Amino acid sequence: MVQQRIGFGYGEVLGRLLVEKRKHGLLRFSGGYMQAYARRTLLCGAFGSVLFWAGADAADEGAAEQELVQRLVGGPAVPSPLVHVQIPPVFGNGYSVPLTLIVDSPMTTADHVRTIHLFAPGNPIIPVANFRFTPQSGRAAIATRIRLAKSQTVIAVAEMSDGSRLMGRAFVKVDIDGCA
Amino acid sequence: MAGGQPRVQAPGEVAKDEVFEVRTLITHPMETGLRHDPAGHLIPRNIINSFTCRYNDVVVFSVDLHEPMSANPYLSFHVRAGQSGRLQFIWEEDGGAVFTLEKPITVAA
Repeated sequence: MVQQRIGFGYGEVLGRLLVEKRKHGLLRFSGGYMQAYARRTLLCGAFGSVLFWAGADAADEGAAEQELVQRLVGGPAVPSPLVHVQIPPVFGNGYSVPLTLIVDSPMTTADHVRTIHLFAPGNPIIPVANFRFTPQSGRAAIATRIRLAKSQTVIAVAEMSDGSRLMGRAFVKVDIDGCA
Repeated sequence: MAGGQPRVQAPGEVAKDEVFEVRTLITHPMETGLRHDPAGHLIPRNIINSFTCRYNDVVVFSVDLHEPMSANPYLSFHVRAGQSGRLQFIWEEDGGAVFTLEKPITVAA
């Protein structure tokens, strides 16, 4: 993307130079064009750096999460839209934050959710609870209240009956930190 | 304080194969073991570490609770109606204390 932008800028400058040449009958390096070119290159560079920065940050966070999940559940988990972690984005009291976990599943003998692991990586004690379901549960959905020591991303890992692990997450900002 | 006043809200009568919601609450301080008393001594951990729901003696839902669960742990979950019978709710505390509650359930034919 950055390459393309620089390429476009270069092409544009060349094009303008050619127009200039036709107008004046000579190839003239206008300071204005060079400035514009330099500015654009600089902007592209800065934009690219920001992109790279954000990308690296997100990748770092994702890797840290995966490492945590690997350590706590004993295997990797795939982020999935089937796992819903519902928590208020901002909540006043970290001592008792309402939380709902839903995993879209038919909950039949052949295809059901076995366990949902809930983690609060920002707490001094990271595992919050394991919820174990059976096909007789009917729905893989629970609601409870948890303690959060600080604002953080809460992670839920669902272990399915076929052995796969799906992951969901939600960020919550707490105003008063709850001692976990 | 040991707490241990369980409360359960569940429908008394349900249709066959209906999935119904069960809401449970138990009074308990859920002491994390991370806090100190005013004299500076660590307050030992004392939490409800396990919850089980049995439907006609078959475990249908259970939870391992850890320290970050709030005091007076509230749990809402679902059960699919099978046969008429009873729902049993069991909370286990650190140190082995057990709190139980039973609810009859009627399944309309």
